[in-house]
Amino acid sequence: MTFVKTISVLGIVALLAGCEGGGGLVNTDKTIDYGFRSHHLSNMTAGIWIDPNGCDHWIIDDGYEGYLSQRLDPYGKPVCSEAGPPNTAVGPYKTTQTVSDTL
Amino acid sequence: MGNHAKNARHANAAVLAVGLALASVSGTVALAQENLFDNDGATTNERYAPTIWVDPDGCEHWVMDDGFEGYMSPHTNRQGIPVCNRGNVCGVMNTDQYFATNSYRLTAGGKQNLVNFFRTAKSRAYIIVGHTDSRASDEYNMTLSYNRANSVAAVAASVGAKIIDVRGYGERVPKVSNASAGGMAKNRRVEIICIR
Repeated sequence: MTFVKTISVLGIVALLAGCEGGGGLVNTDKTIDYGFRSHHLSNMTAGIWIDPNGCDHWIIDDGYEGYLSQRLDPYGKPVCSEAGPPNTAVGPYKTTQTVSDTL
Repeated sequence: MGNHAKNARHANAAVLAVGLALASVSGTVALAQENLFDNDGATTNERYAPTIWVDPDGCEHWVMDDGFEGYMSPHTNRQGIPVCNRGNVCGVMNTDQYFATNSYRLTAGGKQNLVNFFRTAKSRAYIIVGHTDSRASDEYNMTLSYNRANSVAAVAASVGAKIIDVRGYGERVPKVSNASAGGMAKNRRVEIICIR
């Protein structure tokens, strides 16, 4: 019984690793999402998240991974463009995701 | 070198001396200090090489996927300036064509050009940034460039364009060398940054 449990747990771990962990591949190349629909990270579509100060950040919901990075103008200053009210996100930032993620 | 600059240099030397003295004092105290990751236990030296994601403005970000986690940060140079494949500066006004020397009042023709520009431009918002050449004092140029940027912003706002920031950098961010008259003319400018 314990043996069967151990086997199934190992199986689930292996399955998870296969879906997202890439069976160790991620350790050597962090530039690729090895998920259900494998893709290079340069091909992701972003929306804009507006922080509490009203400034823009690029937001990407890539299924299991989420990405957030500051939007800067050519001088390195934050862009605060009133794309939406503070504490909201706008745009097609969930279009790269292939996993149902109700959050 | 003027007396003022000499005095400033002496003052800097004094500050440096004080700084060195403090450093030697804190050097003994520093034995009790800890490094950032001293108590973290698992010290890893794992390879984390990123790839580049280009945002809709054309600017680069470092990005990594660690399995479940994703990481991203803007790619800037060591001065904090973003690395971009293309600029979102959508208009550069040569200020000689819009203002008299030392003035921040737009000429009638210049004002009409700007009205036409902002009526036809389709961007959601704009940042206006003024610059001068290197003649006159730094302080004077900071004020002049800011006033000129504000004049442009006022025209933009008058035709309903959304202005999200107005700045003046004076002579501090030249586009080209100020060594020639032609270079100085290129540096006298107001930039319009288009935000989609």
